[in-house]
Amino acid sequence: MDFMETRNCRLSEIDFTDRSFPFSFGEISQKLIESIKQVGLLQPPLLQAAATGYKIVCGRRRLEALRQSGVDDVVVNFFAVPAGQIKELFRRALWENLAQREFNPVETADIYNKALEIFSEEELRREIKPALKIPGRERFHKRYLAITGFSAELRELLAAGIIDLESVDLINGWNDSELGALIELIAETGLRRNKLREVINRLDDLARRDRVSPCEPLAAACASVRDSDGKIDINALRNQLKVKLYPHLTTAREKFAGKLEKLSLPADIRLESPPDFEGGEYRLSFSFSDRRQWQDSCDKLNSIVLDDIDEICSRS
Amino acid sequence: MKSVPDPDYRRSLFYPATVLVEEGAADYPLTRSILSRLKKAEVVSVKRPAGNDFSNLSRLYSPQTTLFLAPHRGRFLKACPGTAETYRCCLYQILHLGLGCNIGCSYCVLQGYLNNPFITQFVNLDDAFAELDTELGKPGVFYRIGTGEFTDSLFMDPLTDLAPRLIDYFGTCKNAILELKTKSVAISSLLDYPGEIGETVVSWSLNAPSVTAREEGFAASITERLQAAALCRERGYRIGLHFDPLLFFPGWEEGYRQTVAEIFKYLKGDDIIWISIGAFRFMPQVKDVLRDNHADCNITAGEFIRGLDGKQRYFSEIRRQLYRLLVTEIKKYAPEVFIYFCMEDKCLWQDTFGYAPADNAELGRWLDECCWRYAANG
Repeated sequence: MDFMETRNCRLSEIDFTDRSFPFSFGEISQKLIESIKQVGLLQPPLLQAAATGYKIVCGRRRLEALRQSGVDDVVVNFFAVPAGQIKELFRRALWENLAQREFNPVETADIYNKALEIFSEEELRREIKPALKIPGRERFHKRYLAITGFSAELRELLAAGIIDLESVDLINGWNDSELGALIELIAETGLRRNKLREVINRLDDLARRDRVSPCEPLAAACASVRDSDGKIDINALRNQLKVKLYPHLTTAREKFAGKLEKLSLPADIRLESPPDFEGGEYRLSFSFSDRRQWQDSCDKLNSIVLDDIDEICSRS
Repeated sequence: MKSVPDPDYRRSLFYPATVLVEEGAADYPLTRSILSRLKKAEVVSVKRPAGNDFSNLSRLYSPQTTLFLAPHRGRFLKACPGTAETYRCCLYQILHLGLGCNIGCSYCVLQGYLNNPFITQFVNLDDAFAELDTELGKPGVFYRIGTGEFTDSLFMDPLTDLAPRLIDYFGTCKNAILELKTKSVAISSLLDYPGEIGETVVSWSLNAPSVTAREEGFAASITERLQAAALCRERGYRIGLHFDPLLFFPGWEEGYRQTVAEIFKYLKGDDIIWISIGAFRFMPQVKDVLRDNHADCNITAGEFIRGLDGKQRYFSEIRRQLYRLLVTEIKKYAPEVFIYFCMEDKCLWQDTFGYAPADNAELGRWLDECCWRYAANG
């Protein structure tokens, strides 16, 4: 790119609303603002001439940080790009960004969606998708298309890592009011990442199973787990959804707990059901550190009435 | 010989718009014979796919309308993948002559297993028969062999005309039985087959009528399948039935009762060599694929637990309910018919039948004995 030139420009000449090169999304870190206040910009941003003023190609965060620091004059690298060479400029910005940092999911989605307009299918497959770590399968294409269409609030939650990418696939089909209910739940409970994904997964399964909106099981579960202050207990909510999704398994666990209680095993002897009652093999364990403890445990086990063991193992 | 009353029996469920012929496959008689039946299809010669080639080809040619013809380079006869020894499997053998089908069942686990997206027919049949000659030559071993594990045995038989060739081969085998499994009614070649049909079993996969309508794509209706089964029985074939996968859904009891009642409108208990039953199960990673491919499908949103083999299975109490109802209903009509579970825990055997095979070998023996008993009784 031999048509690059370094020059001074004013921030007021830069169009911050233009997203032709959508390489950053999310909060500007205070560290960056502080660094710029202390030592200024070490590397000039890249700009492209627009009809009036300039578009940001690369360096949006630095320019935002400058703006927030109250600076107006900046040294930039300026490209006068002939029509048709936008692809090269985009590519340069992509790789320059990649050399510095990882993109968050919203940035990846925005870049990918922009790249879909600029690059051929072959270029996307060979260069852009691997660069953005987007696997080739259709589901990932749909995932990143969906993110760009999400509301600003949802995009913020994704960019901040509160909602993860696997959850995106599930909420992709949810309508605005369903997504609104989810955002409200996140705001109210502080649920994030793994636990949030588990809740979304269960809501999605319940909604599919009963062919209802995810709002229905969510509202029902929330209503039953609010404490006296009206706050939602996250663990109770997770458990409530699990009970709704696994009614037979829940009943079996409750039955087993009742039988175990009837057995009155001492605290140091542990009897476990088969995992999810699959396979029919129960597990008994106790710990001991000498002959006396061993004998004690054996005596206690020998005192168990065999009919009670039949009861434990009964599958009816 | 029985005349074929319904044109559907002569119709392939799959008429490809494009046929991809792998280099080296063009000269096989089966390739020529298939292409001669597809005069209007575009025929494209392709190199042997490697790496991402299948993915690239699927961008150019729709897997829904493309047939791939290729020689198979691995073993044709394989043990059924079954599942971990913790569940009982019947030691079935698969004759691997093709991959995929276009029926489009929402629950089909092949959606998550195959990296070749095209319906594929292996054309080097002589190699398959040569391998069978060697394998079946082993003394003292009995084989139950099916072609319907990675594909539907008959869905495009009017194009391939494979069934008569297989019946020819297995008709003379003393130590093997062939099972053709299908959800189609493309049985004309079976009915028209002029020779001795030996011990060939023709099997239909069955489900509740509402499941068939909702989840089984282009498959024939339950009644159509059973009408086809009755014709095959009349022609002398043994009939197998497979309730797999059983689904747990509102109204399942009535749905499965209806299907069982329907069976015995068309078949007697003595017509049926075996009935297998298996509840829906899938590898966890298949869930996303099923949902991607069938957005409105809710069959994976049930009470699934992780089985001892790592697959998602209905919680055992649900399986117990499904099995007890189905077995009770079948036994009302056919107390003597042999029913077995596919990939199931011995506890469920015990709870449903009051007995369980000690191991896979015993279950295998029970099924082998079914074949001998059936042969002896004609």
